[in-house]
Amino acid sequence: MSLETGSASPRTTAETGTTGVTTTDADTSDSEPSTGTGSLSDLDAVGLAYGAVGSAVFLAVWQAAAMAVGRTYLLPSPVEVATAFVVELTAPTTFTVPFVGASIPATRLIANLLQSLLHYIPGLVVGSILGISLGIAMGWSGRLDDALTPVTRFLRPIPPLAWIVFAIVWIGIGHGGAAFIVGIGAFWINFYNAYAGVEGVSTHLREVASTLGVDDDLTMIRKVILPAATPSIATGVRTSIGQCWMIVVAAELFGAPGVGFQIINAAQNLSTDVSVAYMAVISLVFLVSDGAFRRVERRALAWRD
Amino acid sequence: MAGLSDVQGTATDSPTTTPKVVVDGVDKVYESERQRVEALSDVNFSVSEGEFVCLVGPSGCGKTTLFRTIAGLEAPTGGEIRLDGEAVTGPGTDRGMVFQEYGLFPWRTVRDNVAFGLEEQGVEEPDRTRRVDEMLDLVGLGGFADAYPKELSGGMKQRVGIARALAVDPEILLADEPFGSVDAQTRDMLHEELLRIWAETGKTVLFVTHDVEEAVKLSDRVVVMAADPGRVREVVDVDIERPRERTDPAFGEYVGRIRELIGE
Repeated sequence: MSLETGSASPRTTAETGTTGVTTTDADTSDSEPSTGTGSLSDLDAVGLAYGAVGSAVFLAVWQAAAMAVGRTYLLPSPVEVATAFVVELTAPTTFTVPFVGASIPATRLIANLLQSLLHYIPGLVVGSILGISLGIAMGWSGRLDDALTPVTRFLRPIPPLAWIVFAIVWIGIGHGGAAFIVGIGAFWINFYNAYAGVEGVSTHLREVASTLGVDDDLTMIRKVILPAATPSIATGVRTSIGQCWMIVVAAELFGAPGVGFQIINAAQNLSTDVSVAYMAVISLVFLVSDGAFRRVERRALAWRD
Repeated sequence: MAGLSDVQGTATDSPTTTPKVVVDGVDKVYESERQRVEALSDVNFSVSEGEFVCLVGPSGCGKTTLFRTIAGLEAPTGGEIRLDGEAVTGPGTDRGMVFQEYGLFPWRTVRDNVAFGLEEQGVEEPDRTRRVDEMLDLVGLGGFADAYPKELSGGMKQRVGIARALAVDPEILLADEPFGSVDAQTRDMLHEELLRIWAETGKTVLFVTHDVEEAVKLSDRVVVMAADPGRVREVVDVDIERPRERTDPAFGEYVGRIRELIGE
């Protein structure tokens, strides 16, 4: 989906209008090995050309609008954003590694990204693991499901950001607090996908396993329930990879350092071109991580219909 | 339905040797607040060692319920099933099961599907691989060991199902309309294969079907069931030399007779 157009657009900005080049490029790299394995290979040369044209038109309209407005802080042009991006990417600074305390050289953009990752990754990992675990447990055990469903139903609709109050009073707003918020977001997404995945395992497969000698719960979970629920669990993880970036930005509005904080900070200085550059950073990081996850997923779950 | 009420086929009328499977006075009643369904009522018959027996009957005659009860997936409300003299209390590897919907584990390759029961039995390598290869050769799927179920046709899937059921060396093979989802041509081929496998392994086979011709084609005896409540109407010995041809007049006679019993 968005991944394709996303990977096509940087190329088009570099060689505006030379759609012919882009098309031949796609012929050799993307379309050739297509064996019907996934959405990426569905891309044909024509589709890619359309994507390039769409991106070019979008950039042109944006540039024209920015020139018409004439004030960077109201609407920075793509060129200004690209310039800001390069400046942030190259401006030297240092990044202090937490716990270790050592300072390592970095650039502003990289340092801010690392700051965000310091709460994004722990929140995502811990929240996902807890959510998947509880989802599996409740999906498997009817009793536990009955006992906890009222609680989960009640807590689920609360937006992760609402917990900021407790993040602040319990942990303080920093990496810990932001990770806590991110973790809550990851928890619910993964909880529901794991739960649905386990609930959806056909009784037929469980019966087959029992006729083949599986006679205890742990073996059943390990050899039947988990593999059968893996596609659903993977969907949860992939969804949370994206959703948690939104939460990161929101959490950083309250002062945790990172990319989201830079978006606000720059805007307060009326440097909206820098804000948009950092917005682009989030998009790029998402595209890269989502693309990587899809790739792993496709390979690991090659057995799916 | 014909007015016949003579219920034959008790545990004692098995012609030869000791019975492998005894279905002894099995009742199965499903009760809910609003209704009471008698799925099986005093079902009696037995299957001898090495015998091929088909269960046929109209829909609703409880043949699948009976299959599930023999499998140990459901408990009878009355009577009992005995395998080699021991009452069945739950599912187990002494009964190899083949299901209409195959029941293959989609995340496992053909090889790993066949190996599933062996893993549970604690069969170690290299014995496991050897046994799996042997089974795949038996069903003619040696070249598909590393394929996933989604890459197989219905007929091939069911051959994996049979290989997997036989891999653990069960006492009997239980099949519930195993060829109900494959086309007629494939079904004929699978019949030949199943009879060959039966001859090669000497397994006792209990085969549920609604297809009378299939029953006559395959079995030594046909247990004809009737519905409301599910019960045994008659047990028919099929006395035709194998291989059997549908064009054989004797074949047609058996089919006609069983159809009449069913009330088709």
